[in-house]
Amino acid sequence: MAKESRIERARGRARAAKTAIGALGLLVFGVAFVGAKTHAPGHTKGQATPLGAPSSFERAVHNSIAKGGQIAPAVQPPPIVTSTS
Amino acid sequence: MGCEVIVAGGDPAGVAEVLERWEQAFSLFRPESELSRVNRSPARVLAVSPLFAHTLRVALDTAADTGGLVDPTLGRGVGEVLLSGRMLSRPPGLAFDLNGVVKALAVDDAAETLDGPGFVSVGGDLAVRGPVDVGLPGGGAVRVVEGGLATSGTATRGPHLVDPVTGRPSDSPWQQVTASGVSCLAADVAAKAGFLLGERGPEWLDERGVPGRFLGRDGEVVENEAWAGSVREAATCT
Repeated sequence: MAKESRIERARGRARAAKTAIGALGLLVFGVAFVGAKTHAPGHTKGQATPLGAPSSFERAVHNSIAKGGQIAPAVQPPPIVTSTS
Repeated sequence: MGCEVIVAGGDPAGVAEVLERWEQAFSLFRPESELSRVNRSPARVLAVSPLFAHTLRVALDTAADTGGLVDPTLGRGVGEVLLSGRMLSRPPGLAFDLNGVVKALAVDDAAETLDGPGFVSVGGDLAVRGPVDVGLPGGGAVRVVEGGLATSGTATRGPHLVDPVTGRPSDSPWQQVTASGVSCLAADVAAKAGFLLGERGPEWLDERGVPGRFLGRDGEVVENEAWAGSVREAATCT
């Protein structure tokens, strides 16, 4: 009986070791899987955004064509007239 | 360009040469002009000259700036036009009308030839070098200190300005709109947009700090705040 008992205990230790190794393997695999998904994505995780500058930035630096000139009251008879052509 | 050219302070022959170069490239009445050839071409993608590319870029920027009011495709698909360097891509059959910017660009280009103070006026749109007094539609005058002055409307050629929203000649309450800009191009674009916007024209120009003067169909003159303020401030300073 004592001999069988030792064998049973050894089998128990072996099962526990296998379970621990399996769990550790699963844990390592899981961590590696999540890490790979996070840091080395094979595809986009969210909505794609344009590579260009944000529209607010473009608006801020946009050089408008319609910019006002400088005028003042006339001081002498005009040599020229503006009109539609 | 089919309109009166007046030059002061420069060589008229030099100015004429510059204007002829623009006419050769962009006249819709010359079958051999680059614009006519581009409009005739059935190709979707084609290479254009640097001058054509620059002018079309300005026209596309103008369309964006004015919310499509001054549109080189007259509302037929400016969003489908792609320009990369000298390579132009547009839907086959889409013709351009660059009249919205060509004359003003030509005036600004011609004014670069002036030796000193003076001005170049083409059909009443002008660019100045140094202060110039200019008569206004409906009477009165203003001193253009710097930049350009342009007038758009229906007084001479009738309702020729097309509203891109409707695709029909504009039904603006204004007879003529005069605007002052940092260049003849800026002034011309502002005047056209102010005219096409109708009642909202004065406010739209004010939002951009552009002086505008609006001559109504009944002869009433409306000055936006930027115009009135410029004249008033200058009068106070002198």
